[in-house]
Amino acid sequence: MRGRILPIKAAAVLVAIVACGLAAPALAQKPVKIGVLTPLSPPGDASAGQFIVRGAKMAADDVNARGGVLGGRKIELVTEDDSGTPEKGVAGFRKLATLDQVVAVVGQFHSSVMGAVQELAEQFKIPVFATQASARSITEKHLTYTFRTHVIDPDRVSLWNRWIKQHDFKRVALIAENTDYGVGLVEETKRLFKSMDVQADLKTVIFDRAVVDLTPQLLEIKNWKPDLVLNGGVGTPVYLVIKQAHDVGLFPAVPMLVSYDLPARPEFWKNLGDKGAYLTFIVYYHPTMKLTSRGEAFRAKYREQFKEDPVYGALNAYAQVALVADALNDAKSDTGEALVKALLSNTFEGWNGTISFSHGEGPYWQQWTPPMLFLQYTDPKMPFGEAKIVFPPQFKTGDLLMAPKR
Amino acid sequence: MDAYLFSQYLLSGIVIGLIYSLMALGITFIYSIMKMINWAMGEFYMIGSYVQYAVLVTLLPPERWYLALPLAMGSVFLLGVVTQRLLLRPMYVGGIERRDEYATIITIALMVFFRNLAIVLGGPNQYAPKDYARATTLGTLPISGNRVVALVAAIVLLTLFSLMVKQTWLGRAFRGAAQNRVGIQTAGIDVLRLDMLAFGVGVALAAAAGALLAPDFLVYPENGAISTFKGFEIIVIGGLGSIPGSVVGGVLLGVIEALGSVFIASAYKDLYGFVLLIALLVLRPTGLFGERERTV
Repeated sequence: MRGRILPIKAAAVLVAIVACGLAAPALAQKPVKIGVLTPLSPPGDASAGQFIVRGAKMAADDVNARGGVLGGRKIELVTEDDSGTPEKGVAGFRKLATLDQVVAVVGQFHSSVMGAVQELAEQFKIPVFATQASARSITEKHLTYTFRTHVIDPDRVSLWNRWIKQHDFKRVALIAENTDYGVGLVEETKRLFKSMDVQADLKTVIFDRAVVDLTPQLLEIKNWKPDLVLNGGVGTPVYLVIKQAHDVGLFPAVPMLVSYDLPARPEFWKNLGDKGAYLTFIVYYHPTMKLTSRGEAFRAKYREQFKEDPVYGALNAYAQVALVADALNDAKSDTGEALVKALLSNTFEGWNGTISFSHGEGPYWQQWTPPMLFLQYTDPKMPFGEAKIVFPPQFKTGDLLMAPKR
Repeated sequence: MDAYLFSQYLLSGIVIGLIYSLMALGITFIYSIMKMINWAMGEFYMIGSYVQYAVLVTLLPPERWYLALPLAMGSVFLLGVVTQRLLLRPMYVGGIERRDEYATIITIALMVFFRNLAIVLGGPNQYAPKDYARATTLGTLPISGNRVVALVAAIVLLTLFSLMVKQTWLGRAFRGAAQNRVGIQTAGIDVLRLDMLAFGVGVALAAAAGALLAPDFLVYPENGAISTFKGFEIIVIGGLGSIPGSVVGGVLLGVIEALGSVFIASAYKDLYGFVLLIALLVLRPTGLFGERERTV
């Protein structure tokens, strides 16, 4: 009996060894998954999410064309829609972490969503990147797995305060949505008005993000007689504020500054027609900028593929996926701990400079900041690349123009 | 605050309230006849805005927006008729015992379906047709020309609807169905066909609101959500099933929201309508123009 069992056992061991041998190369080729958690449907800024996905996909393709990461493993992107809402963001992150087992998550756009998912990132030990979420609190919490390669609100507010001082605006109205981003802008502006000694009166109006009729709020602002309006909406509310401010006669009679780069998008003029003329807005990228070799290669490929200039969201998502790939190679591992270690101990080629992360003070924790420029459209249907840079002074290509009286 | 500014806020509230009452009228009309709440009303508003935009960028020049409006209403009417025939009619002929639950499930499923269909077909981005008219002033209020157009169209549609209900044979049939669905069948009226027409007319009113407000409030997959909430608030304030209640409720809601957001805080604009609604539910549960239902 014993004599008959032994050959069977030996055969079983042999089969197991052969099976392991066959499985080993397959395991080695297992792709490395990177999550893209971003708004792809309302109420989130879905247009921003689409640009972010574009950039991330192009980065994954480039990395894979160069042979992948960790000795030949391909990058596989898993895209999830957070709809710009914390609850969907949390559900999406949980799915990416548990079901898809991603090694990192990029694409975060809305600060409220980022604030919710970064707690999960700690729990699952998965690095999460703010691609365009700028609330101060995100990096101020000093979390191990949170990284950002985007501006933070104190810097944004500090810059517009300098602009307000330079132009000697005396009555500034800030209309912002009731999200972490909007409320954060209001609080930062109030705080920095004092600390930067801005000699202007400030009126702040917070509106519900879901509201579509902003006429009462804009009438209230108009009757306060401001000489500058700051538009702190995100996505659809940005358009609603511009359109309705135009209709009640507030803008362009009073200059308006949009707090981020939405007007750089190709659909801007389609949605606003002539009402977008004389608008000033903050951007982080301009087509005349000199980029790194990685950034230049991306820009050329993007122009060829989409027949338009890339927008910042696409550039930043591209750079984030590329830097995660670089960090994976540096770490020689796909674990979260190793990835964080590699992110903190190396420098990476970004789209317009070298990216590095350190444990800075306050919100400058694991934070890298791109440049900020104020642009102005002076004519209807003006291409983004032709918009004049009106601030800061060292990059100026034109002066702020006031709209002729109607 | 001076009287001039007060009149501006008041007017802005009246204008938007009247436009929202179109939506409320659609909800209350469907409820009166079919005794069900259509939770997908905002999506028919959204579809109306999409059809209007699509017609104006493909078939008609932007200045012919007034020809696109009946097309938007007509196509949504047909969609409503088909939806009612295929998905809601079984409530009455299929021996379904819990009709309220059935209607709720079906219309909420429709809401999710239409929103996602809009994302699949048109993407998640915003669109806007060109302005229907130039910005102007209405009394003391500087106002978008689109909103003046929407206001006038809303008044015309409300008047036509009221005339149809009061002066025509079909209107009498609708009123009969609203009072007693079994009773009117003894008069030889096909109540199931009336249901179909009522649903179509109700959603066409929502589509009109969507199409009229498209240049101001934009076209995107979730643009109907807020107007649905307003519509439901209005019918509870005005009284379920009442046409004048829809109009007065709409104006009241618009005014309270406009004044509340200026005098109290604009971040809680949606709250003021709910405060009014709760107060009315406590003091007059049937709404301003609603009547207590007679039971036998």
